[in-house]
Amino acid sequence: MRRGIFAVLVLDLKRFWLDRARLFAGLAQPLLYLFVLGAGLGASSRLGSGGYQPYIFPGVMGLSMLFTATFAAITIVFDRQIGFFKAVLVAPVPRPAIAVGKIAAGAVQALVQGVVLLFFAPLAHVPLGWNILPLLGAMALAAVTFSALGVAVASRFTSVTVFPIVSNAVLLPMFFLSGALYPLAMAPHWIQIAAYFDPVAYAVDLMRGALLGKFFMPPWFSLAALAAVIAALAWSAVRIFNRGEDTDLGPTKFTWRR
Amino acid sequence: MTAPVLSAAASAAPAVDVCGLVKRYGKVEALKGIDLAVQPGEMFALLGPNGAGKTTLFSVLATLRAPTEGSARVLGRDVVAERDAVRAQMGIVFQEPAIEQRLSGRDNLLMMGLLYGLGAATARRRATEILASLGLAEAADRPARSFSGGQRRKLELARALVTDPKILFLDEATLGLDVDARRSFWAQVRALAAAGRTVFFTTHYMEEAEVADRIALIAEGKILALDTPRALKARLGGGVVKLKTEDDAQARAWLAERGFSPEAGGDELMLLHADPAAVLPELLRHLPVKALRVEVHEPSLEDVFLKLTGKDLGGDVPAAAPRGGPGGGGWS
Repeated sequence: MRRGIFAVLVLDLKRFWLDRARLFAGLAQPLLYLFVLGAGLGASSRLGSGGYQPYIFPGVMGLSMLFTATFAAITIVFDRQIGFFKAVLVAPVPRPAIAVGKIAAGAVQALVQGVVLLFFAPLAHVPLGWNILPLLGAMALAAVTFSALGVAVASRFTSVTVFPIVSNAVLLPMFFLSGALYPLAMAPHWIQIAAYFDPVAYAVDLMRGALLGKFFMPPWFSLAALAAVIAALAWSAVRIFNRGEDTDLGPTKFTWRR
Repeated sequence: MTAPVLSAAASAAPAVDVCGLVKRYGKVEALKGIDLAVQPGEMFALLGPNGAGKTTLFSVLATLRAPTEGSARVLGRDVVAERDAVRAQMGIVFQEPAIEQRLSGRDNLLMMGLLYGLGAATARRRATEILASLGLAEAADRPARSFSGGQRRKLELARALVTDPKILFLDEATLGLDVDARRSFWAQVRALAAAGRTVFFTTHYMEEAEVADRIALIAEGKILALDTPRALKARLGGGVVKLKTEDDAQARAWLAERGFSPEAGGDELMLLHADPAAVLPELLRHLPVKALRVEVHEPSLEDVFLKLTGKDLGGDVPAAAPRGGPGGGGWS
């Protein structure tokens, strides 16, 4: 099991290294949000841009990590279209190890992207000190959540052409409902309720709380919710991997316990 | 139920043992009850047109799809209940590329070695050995995308061999290769089989199936015939002998006396026999007139296949398998 996780992780990180230029290309979107949207909207918000930019910083970081993790997960769909994923599936690696390895690989990539973004924190007037330690912890948890989300969704798709459409239909609503760009405390009631069903909201709230010391949801509740979400998503990915190529059949008797 | 009994049973078992295998996709029955056994060390071909069910059967054996009914065992292990044990002893080449184009050939093999639980050092050593033995040593450290078509398929073969598997599965492994590359690929597979590995491969190229010890002809999810290439062709009444002698009339009479039924074919004699190669030397030695020219035509596997499916098509034919034209467009 451990060997399998390691092998899948090494394989994906090796391929990620070939694509390392993406780390910098991936900065464009979050920096636009941070310095253009942040400066523009911030000037007209009660916080002022000096207060608004640090406020949205964890949200923008969440956005960036969410997209990085999803993009990492797309490799599963791409690998399925060629035969590469089949070669992984016929290896004597327990299916949970494949899921965990894939999630870990995506999480590392998302975390690295988040850390790269962290270098821009001083420019956005983000107060950094010892709070960087809990922040890194929260970022790691967020990275795992987003990666599990990506893997669970990607494992269900056999074509890369429809995956971005579906993932945008899932990702963008989750991002907008998460309170990444506005305080949930002042949002309409229905958004506050929706946020409780949005894993991105918990992740962003934890990162923001770690950074600025103010939580919207109780941190212990966020931790528990994210742990449950990660477990559920990983389990659903394992179920799909267990089916091998029998994906079009719906649930089958072909489970990993047998 | 003790371990020694189990292992003794496993070593005596056929390399591949398929029993009453049925696979349905919704209402479509892709495999309609397949039975076959491949002996250890055998080179076994599954030959049939596109859509015959070859890849479905292959996927079941490769543990990628579960049988709807029936069972399949590889090296004595059940492909569903003992999937990881089956996976650990198989090397598989898919018809689709399964290498990471951006990684070097060597790195591809290393990654595969890690997935199969070889240590990094062992994987490295095995990769070097295999790349050398398949003639890929020079290309090994270039990205795989820079490989030629033939080199890529050989790299796929190398990938399947990293773990030194006892059994090798190849699914349309030479799809899209030119004749030279195909010949070179099969020469290497034959060498692997000669070294004692069991090889199970699917193909729709007649001449590729010829290298097998035995061939299963498959169409529309059923096995139509399973035998050695020679015996399969012998089913058509064997071979065609064309004979030109100094005195055809006398030769004809002489042959008729010995129970053959020669016919005049143009300016020569035509003789159908189950196994011309076996009787021809004897006949020629005793022929009372001088033979000027002898030709032996073997019926091709394609003839055999067309004859078998032709018979079969009269019966129950669901609109399942796409078929080529009358000449078998799916065959080229």
